[in-house]
Amino acid sequence: MYNVLFVYLAMAVLISIDTIRRDRIQKGKDQERYVQERTLLGQKTKRVLLELKNLTITFGGVTALNAVNLKIYQGEILALIGPNGAGKTTVFNVVTGVYRATSGEVLLNEQSLDGMKRHHITKIGIARTFQNIRLFGDMTALENVITGTDVHKRSGLLGGLFGMPRARREEKAGRVKAHEILQFIGIDEYSDRLARNLPYGVQRRLEIARALGTNPQLLLLDEPAAGFNPAEKVELANTIKKIRDAGYTVLLIEHDMSLIMGISDRVAVLDFGQKIADDLPSVVQNDKRVIEAYLGVPADAS
Amino acid sequence: MKLLNRLREGNLRDWGASFWEQSSPTKRKVIATSLIGFAALAPFMGFGLLDTPVSDYGAVLVYPVGMFILMALGLNIVVGKSGLLDLGYVAFFAIGAYTMAILGTRTSLNTWEIMPIGIALAMLAGLILGLPALRLRGDYLAIVTLGFGEIVRISALNTREIGGPNGIANVPVPPSIGPIKFSLNDQKAFFWVVLIMILLTIWMIRRLSVRRAGRAWEAIRQDEDVAELMGVHTLKYKLWSFSLGAAVGGAAGVLYASKTLFIAPEMFTLNVSILILACVVFGGMGNIWGVVLGAAILAYLPERIRFISDARLLVFGLALVITMNFRPDGLLPRKKREKAIVKSTQDGI
Amino acid sequence: MFSTLIDQFWSLTLSGIALGFIYVLISLGYTMVYGVLRMINFANSEIFMFGTFATIVISRDFLGNVDGTKSLPLPKLILTITLCLLGSMLVSGLVAVFVELVAYRRLRARGTNKLATLISAIGISIVLSEFMRIITNSRPTLNPRVLEKKSLFEIAGASFRMDTVLTIIFAAVLFVVLDRFVKFSRLGRAIRAVSMNEDASKLMGVDLNKVISATFLIGGLMSGAAAFFYTLTYENTKFNVGFTLGLAAFTAAVIGGIGNIRGAFFGGLSLGLVEVYASSILGTEWKSVTVFIILVLVLVLKPNGIFGEAVQQTRA
Ligand SMILES: Nc1ncnc2c1ncn2[C@@H]1O[C@H](COP(=O)(O)OP(=O)(O)O)[C@@H](O)[C@H]1O
Ligand SMILES: [Mg+2]
Repeated sequence: MYNVLFVYLAMAVLISIDTIRRDRIQKGKDQERYVQERTLLGQKTKRVLLELKNLTITFGGVTALNAVNLKIYQGEILALIGPNGAGKTTVFNVVTGVYRATSGEVLLNEQSLDGMKRHHITKIGIARTFQNIRLFGDMTALENVITGTDVHKRSGLLGGLFGMPRARREEKAGRVKAHEILQFIGIDEYSDRLARNLPYGVQRRLEIARALGTNPQLLLLDEPAAGFNPAEKVELANTIKKIRDAGYTVLLIEHDMSLIMGISDRVAVLDFGQKIADDLPSVVQNDKRVIEAYLGVPADAS
Repeated sequence: MKLLNRLREGNLRDWGASFWEQSSPTKRKVIATSLIGFAALAPFMGFGLLDTPVSDYGAVLVYPVGMFILMALGLNIVVGKSGLLDLGYVAFFAIGAYTMAILGTRTSLNTWEIMPIGIALAMLAGLILGLPALRLRGDYLAIVTLGFGEIVRISALNTREIGGPNGIANVPVPPSIGPIKFSLNDQKAFFWVVLIMILLTIWMIRRLSVRRAGRAWEAIRQDEDVAELMGVHTLKYKLWSFSLGAAVGGAAGVLYASKTLFIAPEMFTLNVSILILACVVFGGMGNIWGVVLGAAILAYLPERIRFISDARLLVFGLALVITMNFRPDGLLPRKKREKAIVKSTQDGI
Repeated sequence: MFSTLIDQFWSLTLSGIALGFIYVLISLGYTMVYGVLRMINFANSEIFMFGTFATIVISRDFLGNVDGTKSLPLPKLILTITLCLLGSMLVSGLVAVFVELVAYRRLRARGTNKLATLISAIGISIVLSEFMRIITNSRPTLNPRVLEKKSLFEIAGASFRMDTVLTIIFAAVLFVVLDRFVKFSRLGRAIRAVSMNEDASKLMGVDLNKVISATFLIGGLMSGAAAFFYTLTYENTKFNVGFTLGLAAFTAAVIGGIGNIRGAFFGGLSLGLVEVYASSILGTEWKSVTVFIILVLVLVLKPNGIFGEAVQQTRA
């Protein structure tokens, strides 16, 4: 009676083959993309890094994003604002592959991210922070950042186990880089503390550091100044500017208007899942629809 | 007294770790060597309080004590390090044991030559189970692995070619290594082999823990979604975790078959998986020393106290419930501490 | 290979349906608890097992039905069935409430992670089955016959036996009652509210502990009823009887989309049929292997279940 065993084995083999095949395809695509990026980098300065094309996503009956079009240019800080529930975090979730768009697509360097696994999206250059902090609490601050840097390491488990030269080299390099990032963000003194014991403000910054660890082209910050006092906000604004000046592109969700006006190069406004404005900060500030969205919210919708 | 207090505060492990960190390399070497030497002498300590009335002390040290520690360390990679609840761990043990029994009785290969084959087959089984199962989360994974463990047993039970319910008898013992002979009457040699395997496993876990793989597992255990979003190839590392755990289980199985001479499907029930899980949980998930201690205690006590040996599984089940409810981190919890230097600067502020 | 299946198709179908109804009732235990806790109740198989023993103890020891050669006289039969069914449901229900109190509540109050709760639930399930193993000396326990396995009537070669008919009718009625109850009663609505959104329902003043206890109780009652029908049909039990049945019932719940009450109905019936058909082809010793393969396939390919529509909307 080997029938049953045979069926199970066949099933397992099929699933394995499928997984391996999908991984292969993904790897091939990555390689192409990488080459293209390199050539693109040398060209004009103001090129589109990320583009949302007609992005729509619905949950049951709720349309969280409705045909949103948005371009993010290389090297800028783009602020994404809008009332609560407007769909800002949902944009992040679609871009990072947490949700699959109902229709429309997301392009990084003109390549669709559709169907790509989440860790691949991170690997090709998009990293994020979370609205409600989600650090690895039982790791030290340094380990959190090193985990980010691990994405680009080429040595795997066996290399680490047997202490291969490349594994050692990469391990060391990752540690050094993580320290650099912590210094850059200004929290290196906390590097050996467990993340969950860190003060709130440091935790928020550590999230940024961990994301930077993955060496992203595009950094997504979800309300990084939430719960900060004015002094901390100013400090954070400077950090974000510093990040941009170091060559990263930043997409920033934030509620604090003065912070946004101070640092962003452009501002996009979402309201009920629709983009209602997308322009220079000073223009958006005086846009009638934006003011309405913020002030004229009907009483029952909040 | 001080020790008891520390245990109550749950930082005995931290105390040990900081002691270790503050020791010089030579001191460390001395400590490690003497600990290993002490463990190696355990077979000669079977008198007085330690002796086991129910069964032969020397045999108890090999099975269950040594084997349980070994398997608990293997399962700890899966449950403790990566947070994946595997209730079918016995399957890998069984696969190792059956590999040994089949090849040992039908070919001229000896235990040491079969060992790598058994490990490889167990890892393969881990991959076959893991590829579909590790896409599932939490309780689904638990129930699928639980089913898998039973399936392996039922398949062995219903396959006449490998003895069906009668199992396989006359499995050869390992050939002697120089003057060290393997025999059932004097199991010291078996114990030393188990000890070496335990040390190798500990070496592997300690090494991987501070490397990319260890961080990936830790990240997966704490928040799988975020791990994936931070670029961790979660499926790949979960598969690694699974198959390394399986490898240890398979190795234990090979040695077990070569030690008991006779194996049958009834030795590989769900109960074994639960016993090993209890060892991991009771000692402290994710902490090597906790797991070793937990497994040693839970394996040894039923042999020492006759009353417990009749209700062994009941006691282990209770251990699971009580540990989870009152001391979820186990006897020796995983790392809570931060490096000593930072503590002191912090105290200064 | 297929000759048994073809020859006895209708009679197999009938026993598949009867078995399916037992699965339906047990899988309700899994599904209801999953709905409110988002967690598998690992001890459900032991809750069921206690019901089978309750049935035997009531029938054999309390009512003295020890003869076991033919059917009881009608009045005694009705009394036996009523008392055993109610007693089995009650015992299983109480065990379920006990399980929740001991293994789940404290951990939930502390908000520990899922792994801890799972392990605690597995622990309690081991404790329950070991407890029974020790008092029964690992031996199977027989239930002296109360109902002769005589065919009432035959349709297309399928003989409708008294126990089969009873199981199907009673189980169907119980299912409908439960479905109505969850839909329309106050408690049922509270249960559904918790399933849909725990936080919101807390804000609306639902007493969470009470609702969760009640859910375990209801799930236990259903598993207890299943235990009665099982014992009536198979006339024996053992401390580990819940393992295979539990795995199958869980599979049924997954097929129907776990958390979905009506899904459990379709899941249970289809699994009962598939299992009976497959056993006639492969042999009964491969029964649990078949069930397991189905479970893995469904979980991997259709994690929301074959009958599961959007899970959130149809949840208990
Ligand atoms: N997983 C989900 N399921 C159902 N609705 C969702 C989900 N995620 C987001 N939504 C809905 O989408 C809308 C946008 O949410 P979000 O993007 O979090 O808003 P915000 O702009 O405040 O970040 C909200 O109405 C929210 O309820
Ligand atoms: Mg948001």
